[in-house]
Amino acid sequence: MNGFLRFGLMLAGLIVVLILTLAAFQLPIVDSVKLIFEGAFADKFAWSRSAVKMTPLLLTGLGMVIAWRAGVYNIGGEGQFVVGAIFGAAIGKALIGANATGMPGGSVLILGGCAVGGAIWAWFAGWLYVRRGVEVVISTILLNFIAIQLLGYAVSGPLQEQKRQVPQSDLLPESLMLARFDRQTDVHWGTVLAVVMAVLLTVFLYRTVMGYRLRLVGDNPKVARVNYIDPGKVQLSSMALSGAMCGLAGGVEYLGLVGQLGTTFPQQWGFLGIPVALLGGLNPMLTAGAAFFFGALFAGTENLARFTPAGTTIVYVIQATAVLAYVGLSGLKKVRPKPEEETESTPS
Amino acid sequence: MTANPGLHVENIVKRFGSLTALDNVSASFRPGEIHAVLGENGAGKSTLMGILSGFVVPDSGSVKLDGEPVPVGRPFDCKRTGIEMIHQHFTLVSEFSIAENFAMSRLPGLVGASNVTERSQPSLAAAARLGWEMEPGRKVSSLSVGAQQRVEILKALGGNARVIIFDEPTAVLSPDEVSDLFRVLRQLRDDGHVVVLIAHKLSEVLSVADRVTVLRRGKWIASAPIADVTERTLAEWMVGELPAPLPKRMESNLKRGVMAVDVSVLGDRGETAVRNVNFQIQRGEILGLGGVDGNGQLELAEALVGIRKVIGSLLFESGAMDPAKARIAYVPQDRQHDGLAMGMSIEENLLITGHRKPELRSGPFLRFAKLHEWSKMLVKRFSVKANSPADRVAGLSGGNQQKVVVSRALDEQPDLLVVVNPTRGLDIRATEYVHSKILEARDGGAAVALFSTDLDEIYALADRVMFLSRGELIEDAGAESLFGAKV
Repeated sequence: MNGFLRFGLMLAGLIVVLILTLAAFQLPIVDSVKLIFEGAFADKFAWSRSAVKMTPLLLTGLGMVIAWRAGVYNIGGEGQFVVGAIFGAAIGKALIGANATGMPGGSVLILGGCAVGGAIWAWFAGWLYVRRGVEVVISTILLNFIAIQLLGYAVSGPLQEQKRQVPQSDLLPESLMLARFDRQTDVHWGTVLAVVMAVLLTVFLYRTVMGYRLRLVGDNPKVARVNYIDPGKVQLSSMALSGAMCGLAGGVEYLGLVGQLGTTFPQQWGFLGIPVALLGGLNPMLTAGAAFFFGALFAGTENLARFTPAGTTIVYVIQATAVLAYVGLSGLKKVRPKPEEETESTPS
Repeated sequence: MTANPGLHVENIVKRFGSLTALDNVSASFRPGEIHAVLGENGAGKSTLMGILSGFVVPDSGSVKLDGEPVPVGRPFDCKRTGIEMIHQHFTLVSEFSIAENFAMSRLPGLVGASNVTERSQPSLAAAARLGWEMEPGRKVSSLSVGAQQRVEILKALGGNARVIIFDEPTAVLSPDEVSDLFRVLRQLRDDGHVVVLIAHKLSEVLSVADRVTVLRRGKWIASAPIADVTERTLAEWMVGELPAPLPKRMESNLKRGVMAVDVSVLGDRGETAVRNVNFQIQRGEILGLGGVDGNGQLELAEALVGIRKVIGSLLFESGAMDPAKARIAYVPQDRQHDGLAMGMSIEENLLITGHRKPELRSGPFLRFAKLHEWSKMLVKRFSVKANSPADRVAGLSGGNQQKVVVSRALDEQPDLLVVVNPTRGLDIRATEYVHSKILEARDGGAAVALFSTDLDEIYALADRVMFLSRGELIEDAGAESLFGAKV
């Protein structure tokens, strides 16, 4: 299939970029690739690290897929991720305060809150766009900064730990955290949740009426309007869904891994979702593949950094290349003339 | 003076894909003459002018100015030889002052200061000669359309203009401005310029031109001194044989169909695009709505199908028009922008209307088996040339793309069918096919609004014809009045 072929080619290209980058850092290529590979796949710890890194990438990537597919260029995954986690932490604090940490479904409640938080944050940008014509790219970027300030306020104000020493929230009790599969590794149910979301999103986009409308609006909003589908409405819901997915990513990171919010909580997963979604060609299943690739790359380069002077910078080089490649590809598509259509605009 | 003064085109052929825009056209434009080139939309006028001004490269044929070959296909060189074109869409920089725009046409070298004052001088001198007041410092964006056109003309006169081509210059002007423009055309002629006027309004041509050339569907039809022609002959040259009106259809179901009472529609910029129109389309009837593009067709069509707000009342059957109740089918003019999602497959494009069909969905899900069956059936029935409905619609030819739009619209018998230039850019066979489908929908009881700039098409299909001009509807009063008001 076309999409798979493209994905494979892009992947191969990125691996070439990886090798070139290693060369530019003057690292021994074979040894470095070996270290990266071992860091990502050598044993269950390596696999677990790859999966853990993949999880938030996949969820934010899916969030990007939903919005971009509807033609709304949400760049605010980071803000939605953070606000989602703040909502979750608020619920967590309430549960601790009410001594209800053992309540069944507590983590589901927190995750739900995270999704709602992210959805609200994205919906606002969507509303500004649909009703007020504010460019989403601009508003979501700015909302990212507000979200990060909001986090700073929350963890040094209403959500701060009871000791009130460090700007961070209280650590959640184990009962509210997402279960892990193995005591030695970090991989948790959030990873499963992310993969399930990729499957659900595939079904939604390609098998349901709503998903069809969303893709139609993204491809040509004018056609949708001419056929009595309100593009604004569709884009607004797609933004909310997108934000929910990013908020969920924040929740999964919060409940699955760290258990508390601090100013170092945002690790740019929201931004990194963009290259992931682009490498995945805005297709949910391929996005899962792309998320795994980047997750493994993170795990691998961390290993590389342990033994060489190179840091995880390499990942960012690869990611930037992926984005540039995508932009270049779409540019090429636009420039290439469609021979058939030239006859249409025949001057009269 | 050379032996053969003036601009001569010889045996020009220009094809765009399968469409022949100019088929072996020859004409001579002499100095001291206003020479009108007349033709309907699609006759090839603009292509010819594009060739003269260097923007379009002909497939064969030659252009000579005063006996010297013109560098066709090189706009800058054409300008240097003295061929200037006054475009319908002005080529002015609206944020620049008048003088700066004048200076632009006098191309400076790579080095050298801008010297706006000096370089705008020839244009300002021309303004004085023509008796036009110009404030050189004023921004072009603050000028009226008519004044912008004057700037455009003066810009052209700033060089060594020998031939000046006006592309439908009156379309944007008020009657007073038109007569002033004609005065200038005559003065330019008397100064010895070759003046070429592209037009489609017969009355204007008759009042200002000295000689007229008529094109129809890319072919040269006739050239003659204006004294030798009448409005009637020009009309016949333009459209060919004027078709005999079709026999009147039986008047039945008088109360049914669509009725517009004092309908006005706003355009995208809030202007009144359609002004107080009244008409009725019965079921089983095609109302042809003719007129030149941009006279409110698009806005009225979108109002009819319910995606643009209507001021006034639009009735269907016995109540207000409600797109949710009446089965409305719409074939928009611009299939690429309004008709198709170019990134999607044929099937997904058919689904644009199909996703509302109850048999193709179950709850929130699409029923894929049924959907494939249905799309295959449509592709077959409307003979879309594609390997499979899963092919991308972007890979289809224009004609087959149009078939996708039409098949989707006419899958079910509609109550109201609105089509806008349904065959623009299609070859003959695809055109016939689309026409037959429109007639089929009518005979099945649809009220059909056929918007078209193609008079042949309107007269071939419509049971009744009206014309849109500047947002107002004009009753068709026979062929003579088709081409502009008789004075």
